[in-house]
Amino acid sequence: MLNRDQLFDAMSEIPDEYLSAAADLLGYTKEDNLMHLEKNQKSTCPRKAGRILLVAAVIACLFTVTAFAAGLFSISTRIPDVKESFQIHWNDSENGYLEWSDAKLVLTFPDVNESREIEFRPGWLPFELPAELPGSAPWNGISGETWFQRFASESLCWADNAAADPADYKDIMQPILIESYSMAQFADGGAMLMLYQTPGEITEEHWDRLNVDVLSFHGSQHFDERDIPELDMHIDARDIDYDYVLLSNEEKGWIVEICGQLGMDTVRKVAENLEIRETGNTLTQADFQNKFLFIDGGVG
Amino acid sequence: MDDEDILTLYRQRQNAALEETAMKYGRLCFSVADHILQNPEDSEECVNDTWLHAWNAIPPEKPRVFSAWLSRVTRNLAISRLREASAVKRGGKEIPLVLEELSECIPGGMEPQHLLEQRELAEAVNRFLKGLNLEERNVFVARYFYAASHAELSSRTGWSVGKTKTRLRRTRLKLLSFLKEEGLC
Repeated sequence: MLNRDQLFDAMSEIPDEYLSAAADLLGYTKEDNLMHLEKNQKSTCPRKAGRILLVAAVIACLFTVTAFAAGLFSISTRIPDVKESFQIHWNDSENGYLEWSDAKLVLTFPDVNESREIEFRPGWLPFELPAELPGSAPWNGISGETWFQRFASESLCWADNAAADPADYKDIMQPILIESYSMAQFADGGAMLMLYQTPGEITEEHWDRLNVDVLSFHGSQHFDERDIPELDMHIDARDIDYDYVLLSNEEKGWIVEICGQLGMDTVRKVAENLEIRETGNTLTQADFQNKFLFIDGGVG
Repeated sequence: MDDEDILTLYRQRQNAALEETAMKYGRLCFSVADHILQNPEDSEECVNDTWLHAWNAIPPEKPRVFSAWLSRVTRNLAISRLREASAVKRGGKEIPLVLEELSECIPGGMEPQHLLEQRELAEAVNRFLKGLNLEERNVFVARYFYAASHAELSSRTGWSVGKTKTRLRRTRLKLLSFLKEEGLC
């Protein structure tokens, strides 16, 4: 089975004339003095390069490289510089936007002019689907046949819900959140941002059943212990942890985010069992107010 | 200095070969390494390894297009360096050592079947590139061989970043179709 590493490696065999032409395009072949040769270093370690190449040949067969090789992967991630700011449209502010400079993760997608609008239906959930689930659409009446564009289950934490035992979800803000997005929204420099949570190791894969690129990672936010004197209240230190799975179909231009606080295995199982279908509508960036969007569970 | 003159210096085992190579192709090799490693110190070390590899390989090797040959060596070294770092992170320091030891048991360091498949894939990619127009091919190679950023490509082609991404995406989809037709994926 072909994988992207093999494809990336295959690029090393591109003919010389094509490489030269591309280097010319990039302006790399002009003479300059950028690099200075360290003669002594060259002559004293003659075996090093041979060793590296030998090791590389074997490692190349066995290990996956990350985002740099992801030219064929439809989600790009980067940790923004602390000084980097994002202008987020906000009607209530003086300038019409907010300047956000402390994002923890930036996710970008291929520029597409149009996205196919989709809806989804959970094929498996860790709880029985409640008949009503405020925060999800549609608003009136939910059944196993209901299709959603946003599914939020935070009400399970406090609702007197016959379909689930709220005690199972005590202190959980968002058991499962599923939401669909359009790549067209993020064209021309837009992005999904993680604002508060610090991402852990990011995993990339492809799921054939849904024909999607899949990005998964853990997000965590720490809250220090503190007092709120005006409420005569003390809050213990705590961590809030979420797990995220993003499904991306570049060809159709849609993205689905599945996140929640029930653990990565549960979040992945929900994602793996989603049914997704197109509504027949197409969306462009003009259909959205903002080309930035926050993905922290329940934010925005 | 012409490439042929530089290569003559290599064949004569004169240190000036390395100085001339660094002078003429330092920028090229550093750019190739830094796009992959994203770290100036690592990139500089990688480029130094490239010079060392050139010194050891020429002769007997006779690069046909020296700049392309150096680009390829630098890219391979940078990828190796990155994968070693990745392997250390994931599997501890022992994994690269174990693999290095095992590689001594494999002629050429790779399994023949893998080599065959990789060769077939590389040939298919080159056939695909041959079918592209010059503009498409240059941008594709600049992105996927040299790992040039969208912004860099945009500034060199005069296209917007959005257009650059869209054109690359179209080429990728073409490649996908091509590889499917070839039965490679």
